[in-house]
Amino acid sequence: MAETPWITPAAIAETFPEGLKELPPRAQVNLRGSVTDSAFTDAVKAGTGIALPDTPNKTAAGTDFKALWLSPDEWLLVGEGEAASLVQKLEAALSGQHVAVNDVSANRTIFELSGPHSHPALMKSSEFDFHPRVFAPGDCVQTLIAKSQAIVEQTGETAFHIYVRSSFSRYVGAWLAEALAEYSVAE
Amino acid sequence: MLNIDCPWCGKRHETEFRYGGEAHIARPEDPAKLDDAEWAEFLFMRTNTKGYFAERWLHSHGCRRWFNVIRHTVTHEIVGSYKMGEKPPKLPKSAGGAK
Repeated sequence: MAETPWITPAAIAETFPEGLKELPPRAQVNLRGSVTDSAFTDAVKAGTGIALPDTPNKTAAGTDFKALWLSPDEWLLVGEGEAASLVQKLEAALSGQHVAVNDVSANRTIFELSGPHSHPALMKSSEFDFHPRVFAPGDCVQTLIAKSQAIVEQTGETAFHIYVRSSFSRYVGAWLAEALAEYSVAE
Repeated sequence: MLNIDCPWCGKRHETEFRYGGEAHIARPEDPAKLDDAEWAEFLFMRTNTKGYFAERWLHSHGCRRWFNVIRHTVTHEIVGSYKMGEKPPKLPKSAGGAK
């Protein structure tokens, strides 16, 4: 068996404290198109069940995939299904339209940060305000986590998915493990 | 550090942004008709404003959109931000956050 490449978080996964884990790879598809064009939004809705969010930094769920708002004309579709079949389905539904559909599954590694200490660990890793008064389940944000560009999605009251570039993933994983460490000291 | 108001994402920390220099510099309609001095004027010459200044910013770690900000170059006071193609916000009457 090949050795685990040093750059992947798997190499340090056993040092991760409770509340932090790397999720198995998920299908991620980048979708671009005009949200004011109903032919585009209707076709996406028919194909995936997702009503694309046009409010910045919101997510929307569909049948198999969910959409994360990335910019006024760009979304990240994430799910446990197959990226290739989603791309095919969208390309067929959107043929002839001025859109872009790209499989970017390998682009980002996803960490799940959960539990009672997820908020403070995240807050000390970023300059973005993750306080529940401004950031709630169903919200997503693109910001810096430990100086690395990341998408953070809140999936539950105290659960977050953190999408980081794969090449930064070991660093961010190690950072988050360190950030959580102080809370796992036995009381 | 500045808190910059992205027209899409709202107030964010300066570290998420890239600076883009002076705003509202229109590219000449027909660059081939300019002589070297005029082209250099368009390309390099910028005002060195002391006071309120319209400048471009890119939300590079967020939504990756360019937009304009009116900032006071001495006090860093930010009057407002607006999307490309929109009218700038009204400037305060004072010379700007005299300190």
